[in-house]
Amino acid sequence: MSRPDWIVLILTLLAIIAYGLYKSRTTRDLDGYFLGNRTLPWYIVLMSIMGTQASAVTFLSAPGQAYTDGMRFVQYYFGLPLAMVVLCITFVPVFHRLKIYTAYEFLENRFDIKTRALTSFLFLLQRGLSTGISIAAPSIILSSLLGWDITLTNIFMGGLLIIYTVTGGAKAVAYTQQLQLIVIFAGMFMAGYMVVHRLPAQVGFLDALHIGGQAGKMNIITTGFRGGAATGSKGGFDWNDKYNLLSGVIGGFFLALSYFGTDQSQVGRYLTARSMTESRLGLLMNGLVKVPMQFLILLLGILVFSFYQFNREPVFFNKTQINLLEKSRYKDSLLIVNREYDAAETLKIQERNWLAANEGLKGQTAYREAEDRLRQAETRRVWARTSIKRWLNDKEVGGDNNDTNYIFLRFVMDFLPRGLIGLLIAAIFLASWGSIAAALNSLSSCTIVDFHKRFSKKELTGIQEYKLSRMYTLFWGIFCVGVAQLAYNIGNSLIEAVNLLGSLFYGVILGIFLVAFYRKKIGGTAVFVSAVIVEAFVILLNILNNKGIVHLSFLWFNVVGAAGVVILSELIGTVSGRRTGPETVR
Amino acid sequence: MNEDMEEDGSPLFPRWSYWYALVIGFLLALIGFFYFLTNYFA
Repeated sequence: MSRPDWIVLILTLLAIIAYGLYKSRTTRDLDGYFLGNRTLPWYIVLMSIMGTQASAVTFLSAPGQAYTDGMRFVQYYFGLPLAMVVLCITFVPVFHRLKIYTAYEFLENRFDIKTRALTSFLFLLQRGLSTGISIAAPSIILSSLLGWDITLTNIFMGGLLIIYTVTGGAKAVAYTQQLQLIVIFAGMFMAGYMVVHRLPAQVGFLDALHIGGQAGKMNIITTGFRGGAATGSKGGFDWNDKYNLLSGVIGGFFLALSYFGTDQSQVGRYLTARSMTESRLGLLMNGLVKVPMQFLILLLGILVFSFYQFNREPVFFNKTQINLLEKSRYKDSLLIVNREYDAAETLKIQERNWLAANEGLKGQTAYREAEDRLRQAETRRVWARTSIKRWLNDKEVGGDNNDTNYIFLRFVMDFLPRGLIGLLIAAIFLASWGSIAAALNSLSSCTIVDFHKRFSKKELTGIQEYKLSRMYTLFWGIFCVGVAQLAYNIGNSLIEAVNLLGSLFYGVILGIFLVAFYRKKIGGTAVFVSAVIVEAFVILLNILNNKGIVHLSFLWFNVVGAAGVVILSELIGTVSGRRTGPETVR
Repeated sequence: MNEDMEEDGSPLFPRWSYWYALVIGFLLALIGFFYFLTNYFA
């Protein structure tokens, strides 16, 4: 990175820390530290909700996802808007009326202490590990692309934000997230502008989308149904297909309901609102802006894809992996493949430019011949990339054959002007800080409220609780950076691990809450036993999935977990005959 | 408690059914728009 980039990066990060410290003034008790004294307006709550959900991986991964797999990932968010309305009607009023600090406090009120402790424990386990992995994933990408030391990158990614998170609690987290989102969107918008600006003069924004469309990348709506006998494949709905209309609306609805309704890192954000109406407005507005926002981030990937049709595309976006091959037994083969790839790239760029300049000849022989040559170049390029991916998959090489998450940042590093590179690297850090700060705040609140305060016999004063909360925030910060260090040694596919971890636990947690809200006569023991059994079943399902015995996309684990707990607790409640919980709240 | 009771209604609109209608209509409009884009750029 150049000096202007370093200046922009360091100044942006310092400004955020200073702003976080400036906004750190709260009363020295749990209400001030975890709920910002419930004083925040809806738009800060909205930004905080968005900043918590959108991590560094969102901004690194989504454009790459669109680049490789097309726009269909946007369907993943289709269930979210409806989930926001259900949440506002069902969950939010109960949380506000009970004046709770964590979502799991409600479960003791509704069921019993063991159900509360189990649910809070599942949350701590899942959130603690996934936050650590969320630190590691962007750190690995940045350290690989920029040659930074991984330990230092982890500390910068997950450690610096501890300064204002420990000091200022939820209020500092919410206000910094607001500023972070502004920087992130400014950076992404400028990157989008620069991609279009750097396209050849005869290629405009719509032409770029057409190029993406011709390559099958504008597949925004997909049904998930296979072609059937006519295409020679087995027909019917593909349950292993991750992103389609049905899985997006149904699976996405359950995922959003469990994430926003039962994950303390989100519940803790909208409980900071100054009233129930402000909490609800924050959530409802999130429902309206999330899909368009995600659509625009993905669209950036399509623009980058079109850009690379006129510019040399790296044979593999993660250079570190190519370095691995250069040291392996494939080094001679790599030279041959690289030569073939370079020739194909030259041909591709030449034909693309000719086709763009001669749109008027469409349908004529010369135009069709150019299209044929482009297809030949594409076949040679695909062959080269497939060879490299196959070699990386070789156990002897031990490489990572997925470069999706490197695409956007590699483009940034290679083609954006000085200063803007620094701003986009800063945006990656800030996106990471926003979600990690909220996670640390929620981990600390659950530890002290659901466990320390609940099980300790010693009575604590407000100031003692406040000091202890800060200590727990610091502890979780160090814990997550430690997990990030270990995750680096574990290996690749960290982003998938985060998604999978969430789906393994969210469904069961949501099931417990659904029983609490909608099946008022079912007691604590029935729901507790059901949760333990269904959690074990979901984990078993994942093992069977990994072994290839069942074929189910992880998004459906949420549905299985939630439905499993509801049905099983109903059965156990009926069989045992003891259906009444200690207290009903509604 | 009275404050909570006053707040219990839907924000901005008189009833929650308006929010359901708005969100479902918005989602259907988005899906329709995306479907058009999918076909237009295919």
